[in-house]
Amino acid sequence: MKFLEHEAKSVFAEHGIPIPGGFLIRSADELSGYLEKLPPEFVLKAQVDVGGRGKAGGILITDRQNGVATARSLFGKTIKGVPVREILAEERLPIIHEYYASIAVDRSTKEALILFTEEGGVDIEKLARERPFAIRRASVPLLMTEIPPFMLRDLLRGAPNEAGRILQCLYTVFCRKDAILAEINPLVTTSSGIFAADAKLIVDDNALKRQGISQNRDLTERERAAERHGFSYVELDGNIGVIGNGAGLTMATLDLIDFFNGKAANFLDVGGGADQERVMHAVRLVAGVPSVRVIIVNLLGGITRCDEVARGIIDAKISQEVIVRLAGTNEEEGRCLLMEKGYRMLDSMEEAVRAAVEAVR
Amino acid sequence: MIYADKSAGIIVTGATGRQGAFHIALMNEYAKSIGGTGVVAGVTPGKGGQEIHGVPVYNSIRDAMADCDAGVSVIFVPASAAGDSIMESASAGLSLAVTITEHIPVHDTMKAIAYAKLHDCAVVGPNCPGLLSPGEIKLGIMPAHLFSRGNIGVISRSGTLTYEIVDELTKAGLGQSTVVGIGGDPVIGQTFSDVLRRFEEDGQTKAVVLIGEVGGALEEEGARSTDLPLAAYIAGISAPPEKRMGHAGAIIEGGEGDARSKIEQLRKM
Repeated sequence: MKFLEHEAKSVFAEHGIPIPGGFLIRSADELSGYLEKLPPEFVLKAQVDVGGRGKAGGILITDRQNGVATARSLFGKTIKGVPVREILAEERLPIIHEYYASIAVDRSTKEALILFTEEGGVDIEKLARERPFAIRRASVPLLMTEIPPFMLRDLLRGAPNEAGRILQCLYTVFCRKDAILAEINPLVTTSSGIFAADAKLIVDDNALKRQGISQNRDLTERERAAERHGFSYVELDGNIGVIGNGAGLTMATLDLIDFFNGKAANFLDVGGGADQERVMHAVRLVAGVPSVRVIIVNLLGGITRCDEVARGIIDAKISQEVIVRLAGTNEEEGRCLLMEKGYRMLDSMEEAVRAAVEAVR
Repeated sequence: MIYADKSAGIIVTGATGRQGAFHIALMNEYAKSIGGTGVVAGVTPGKGGQEIHGVPVYNSIRDAMADCDAGVSVIFVPASAAGDSIMESASAGLSLAVTITEHIPVHDTMKAIAYAKLHDCAVVGPNCPGLLSPGEIKLGIMPAHLFSRGNIGVISRSGTLTYEIVDELTKAGLGQSTVVGIGGDPVIGQTFSDVLRRFEEDGQTKAVVLIGEVGGALEEEGARSTDLPLAAYIAGISAPPEKRMGHAGAIIEGGEGDARSKIEQLRKM
């Protein structure tokens, strides 16, 4: 789950990383109470989770005189489709130099990958493509409680020692918060010190519970409802509802729909042990999406009982057509149950997908 | 056949849970049908002394090893304790820990894999269906009736999609040497490269099917590392960026890991 900038900054500050002085506001009027505490010139930063926020007009420089009016206009905006509900009003830093620092889970080495560059304030992916040698890297096995000094020396070279202390703090944040990414871009030096001018923190979805986070905000309401049933669910923008078991098989079903020029409305993996009730909930969930005109159920399993799945589909009592491909135990019984009720059950994934695409044409 | 043969004794951790108990029975049914050793012990802390389908349960892997001859473990314990179970397996001297458990926090996985490496224990998974060498050994939850013995190695990040493809292979008369589900998590123990290295040393395997999906670059890394003839399938060509497609690891992030670029790179090799 992604933390918003102000949340990430609070976490960083708790772990000893200096951040600019500022206040979080939820309305323009709230700002007037803080004007005296802010410097004459300051920045308003929309707390929206989108890339390229600055370029999209989400960051505005203002002063005490115009602050409230500027905040009012920013609250009225949507930044790349996301409405502005919170703004961070923050001192404007007199920047001398910008660095970049991040720590992320690296799939290849299975270790924490630290990136540091003296060319901060940029799009790191673009920099990696265009000037990869400008980015310094170090890989830390998570069994280590801190970054070894030689790695810090390699990362920093001429950069101030204080940046090394901040990298060490960032590693502590990364470990304590079950982060998959902790990033400071830019990390800026001013005449009075070094500060995290922006902050990004993404926490592992599998660790939310032990991090004391009860709800994953990154999910839509329907995705959350699906999660409660133990389904993996992703909303897409087509009209063919998809239910499968196993992420790979469900993805392959979507790919086949795409291949036959259809458009999937969702990805739903019912997970292991698809019984009557789970299947019913899955079918109802997908049928509840207004754009869905037909649903394809593609289940394959050694232990999935096809008669149970068939009963689940029938129990769901939905208005859209359901096209079924089932393989597993009690296949014939499942087929009979479905045929009695007028459902179509097809033998191969390809036939089932073709039928679904035909049905919406 | 790679990783383990029919003589290997299996320890199942999380033995008294619903999944653990169910699959002890299925693994032993398979072992019996081919004359293999099968599951020799179950482990659940605090439940030592019980029996599950005739298999004795111990409080720890060490306790189990004092009584039984075992070389590998299959882990079914809940996510919050699964990393611990991997480390316990490694510490006890097992050479392989097959980790079925899904939703393990990735930091736990990273620590457990690093620890297992120090003890020369290979980790398959987590979030995987395990592995099956037809005629030799079944470690995990794969439906054995779809498999047949032969010369094709299969390595996959997925479960059911693997069964689908193994079914097709069997129907086409192409038996398998070993089928390895390496897992759907972003960080996994044995990667495509690791398994391919084993296949290269395995006299039985003549060609390999690689079943990948969106996210990361392990498929390309693996394909680059081997001279074995490869056929590959990559799931997720229609997957949108920044969305997790069922598996924690199936996500196109920061412009990396989309299916089209994977397919393009694999075709060039």
